[in-house]
Amino acid sequence: MQESEVHLVNEKIDLSENTCPNREERANGINLYYGKASDLVKDARAGKLKQCDRKFQQTSGCTLNFYLTVRVNTIRDASIIYHAPVGCSCPSLGYREMFQHIPASLGAPENYDLHWMTTSMNEKDMVYGSTDKLKAAIKEAERRYSPKAIFILTSCASGIIGEDIEGAVNEVQPDTRATIVPIHCEGIRSRLVQTGYDAFWHAILKYLVKEPKKKQKDLVNVASMLSYTWQDRLEIKRLLGRMGLRVNYVPEFASVEQFEQLSEAAVTAPLCPTYTDYLSRGLEQEYGVPYFMYPSPMGFANTDGWLREIAKHTGKEKEAEIVIAEEHKKWDPKLKAIKEEFSKLKPNGEKVEILGALGQGRLLAQVSYFDELGVKSSAAMCQDYDNLILEELEKVLETVGDFNILVNTFQAAEQAHINRRLDPDMTLTCPFQGSSYKRLKGVTRVHALRGDPNLWAQQSAYAGAVAYGNFLLQGFKSTSLQRTMKAKTKDGYRSWYYEQENPIFFIDNDEAVST
Amino acid sequence: MTEAKTIVEDAPSYLEVVEAPRWTCSLGGAYITTTAVYDAVPILHSGAGCGIAQLLGVYYAAGENAAGGQGGTSTPCSCLIEKHVIFGGEDKLRKLIDSTLQMMEGDLYVVISGCVPALIGDDIEAVVKEFKGKGDIIFVNSAGFKGNTFDGYEDFFGAVIDQLLEPRKQEKKVVNILGVVPFQHLFWKGDLNTVKELLAKLGIKANILFTQFDGVKKLKEIPEAELNIVLSTWNGHKTAKKLKETFDQDYISFPSVPIGPKQTSEFLRAVAKKLEIPAIEVEALIAEEERRAYRWVEYLTDAIIIGMPRPYAAFIGDTNTIIGITKFLANEAGYLPEIIQITDEPPEESRDLIIRELTDGIESVLKPEIIFEKDTFRIRENLRNRSFQVMLATSLEKWPAAKEFAVSHLSIAFPTYDRVIVEKTYAGYRGGTGLLEDLLSKYVGPL
Repeated sequence: MQESEVHLVNEKIDLSENTCPNREERANGINLYYGKASDLVKDARAGKLKQCDRKFQQTSGCTLNFYLTVRVNTIRDASIIYHAPVGCSCPSLGYREMFQHIPASLGAPENYDLHWMTTSMNEKDMVYGSTDKLKAAIKEAERRYSPKAIFILTSCASGIIGEDIEGAVNEVQPDTRATIVPIHCEGIRSRLVQTGYDAFWHAILKYLVKEPKKKQKDLVNVASMLSYTWQDRLEIKRLLGRMGLRVNYVPEFASVEQFEQLSEAAVTAPLCPTYTDYLSRGLEQEYGVPYFMYPSPMGFANTDGWLREIAKHTGKEKEAEIVIAEEHKKWDPKLKAIKEEFSKLKPNGEKVEILGALGQGRLLAQVSYFDELGVKSSAAMCQDYDNLILEELEKVLETVGDFNILVNTFQAAEQAHINRRLDPDMTLTCPFQGSSYKRLKGVTRVHALRGDPNLWAQQSAYAGAVAYGNFLLQGFKSTSLQRTMKAKTKDGYRSWYYEQENPIFFIDNDEAVST
Repeated sequence: MTEAKTIVEDAPSYLEVVEAPRWTCSLGGAYITTTAVYDAVPILHSGAGCGIAQLLGVYYAAGENAAGGQGGTSTPCSCLIEKHVIFGGEDKLRKLIDSTLQMMEGDLYVVISGCVPALIGDDIEAVVKEFKGKGDIIFVNSAGFKGNTFDGYEDFFGAVIDQLLEPRKQEKKVVNILGVVPFQHLFWKGDLNTVKELLAKLGIKANILFTQFDGVKKLKEIPEAELNIVLSTWNGHKTAKKLKETFDQDYISFPSVPIGPKQTSEFLRAVAKKLEIPAIEVEALIAEEERRAYRWVEYLTDAIIIGMPRPYAAFIGDTNTIIGITKFLANEAGYLPEIIQITDEPPEESRDLIIRELTDGIESVLKPEIIFEKDTFRIRENLRNRSFQVMLATSLEKWPAAKEFAVSHLSIAFPTYDRVIVEKTYAGYRGGTGLLEDLLSKYVGPL
């Protein structure tokens, strides 16, 4: 097959459809791979990537409940209806506490209320359907909260019984002031949690984004990831502000109006390229808003590049250079000091090795950032892989050479395995890695609790690169917790597993499913 | 504060369409109950997010608990997708059970099946049967759409009774403790262990089933008890009835875990009477414990009387938690319950008893208004235009308490994201002082 015929990525977005294609189809995504990154890239180029099954698998998140729920929850003047059995919405029980610890002095609004409801689908609904109930829920949400938008989040159950969500929406929309936004995030639809994000952006583009009334030349769309804290928002706002630009942050803690005016911005800038990709593409295709994918503002060089890309689209090149120079003047010595301290952690100029579980965005951005800190990655661990990052991953390979990559969506056993085998000096964890924190060497978190207003927790741009560098150093200052727990508690998996070469021991080769 | 519009007259036509009900589904209930039995390994036959949802929405919501070696993302899961919907999920489940047996040590494997296999008609029982002889494996059909946490708890025990337990000879002075639902009742670990220690003082061996290192052995010992003690007006009753039918075990129930000295003494007297333990032994124990307990309460009285004497109080939470805590504060610390909102939707037949406990059972001139309400929106509305000074509720009420009502607030019921609760308990003789310590700490300061 000639290369030109290999499908890599769907370039077009079709908003006449009810939802996006799955990430498997859109960009040949997979969430199972262990081997050389160079082989992964080669297979991807040749269209040979296969999504296999695992015989042993662990619960790890679906398109709905991998933080899509708790992201949509934070949209300030909207409400959510989970069209689902009651368990699907329980991760949202913290909704009233979101962002509440941020002081008003740091710009948090005094008054806001977040709302969600559930249709609590039951046995009767499974037999008779429950679109009437969904319609009643929409009316009730409107009556109670007078929201500007009502998001409907679907579930496995609503999908399997074939609920006509759009039919229900079309019926009640004319009598509803709020814009109804159905998001197809049925858990069974895809293995890849990122499909949930695409489904979200599809619905945003289809239902919420308005035709631009005017173009706002100084407005920059920034789609923020979960792991960016309040201080990151402030820092990015500050940097862009000094370039004479304003930030339109979506989706976390945004207002509905901010979504409506996405079409008016000068550029869409990513904090995580593959999280934002669908939105960025859609805004360009439908409204001519340009976008770029790389870099993300993590680390100094990446932030330089990020600001320059934004500047290019906003005519602020001169301002960007001033900001970049000033920031470097302020922060370079601090970064240097961190690098020095890292270099002293191991003898003979050996580099500190850090292993992190990451999304695709972090995987790419972290390479140059870690280099700035003078540390290296033992291997890469990534929630999923898809061709949206193919070119960029090829560039990374050219720069740093080959490395092993483990693609899995929070498979705790596989992550415990690779941690044990590679034994990095520090492992970065979400709370989603089972007992892999029990070890003799370092362990710390990948990112902060959301709504953490502390400067200590920031990671973005120059200030964040320094803060997180210091945070990583701090992780080396004590190992008592993980050592004690390792010595005093049981391990979750039998020992034979750790003796295997490949963490993906239970690959189900009988059942290859082409992507 | 931005206030939502006042509710208009017409009630919604679907009572289950509510804001943030305070429970998860029956799959979640069966799952978290399984993880409370040490060395039981849950195996989820469900969508990939069903387990992680409970991590975020139950474990963390139950006083920020991590999920342990078998829970959360450590839990094996068949992670069903569309192709299984079309071709069935049985083969996937078979491979998952087989690999789990190889990967994870356990004394009991519990297959918990959710919405997807129920809707596509997987024969879970047939697949589980194939593993006969390879270890103890049971299955719980607990599709999420069939019920909530409390149903899942009873489903788990239903499966244990039907598939695991064998008749055994009943032993004197051995009892099982039922009705405390792990995680959903925030203080379950401390509560159960306190009850166990209390009963041990009377020579009674209490099998509390959860948090025991030989947990599966403890499950198998259920038929050895001569009595089941249900610490709830309605949770655990279904299980107790099933045990009565299956093993002819008698059961008695108490309205809640006993909180503070009065309820604890009452509890001990009733159990002793039922098990024919001489009153003189019981009274000697009670006298000794009460003497100590109330001497220690003396340390609290200035803070109570000067800090906020006899405050009107609002209570919001599940039946078990609210009955115990309200009665303690009303009957031993002078609190005046003004409004009580019961959020766990107890069945109709238990409501008279619940209301009696919270009215006749309370030493107060003013009887509180009692509302059964699961809708977090209406719960907040019901608090308006009242004059309470303190709120014992969930962390859902934390910020409304601070910003809208300007009253002190302590999270004592599910969900609670703003406290870390591991061993903490308000049960028993020391529990009352523990509760007052936490509650008074929310508002005391220099005079």
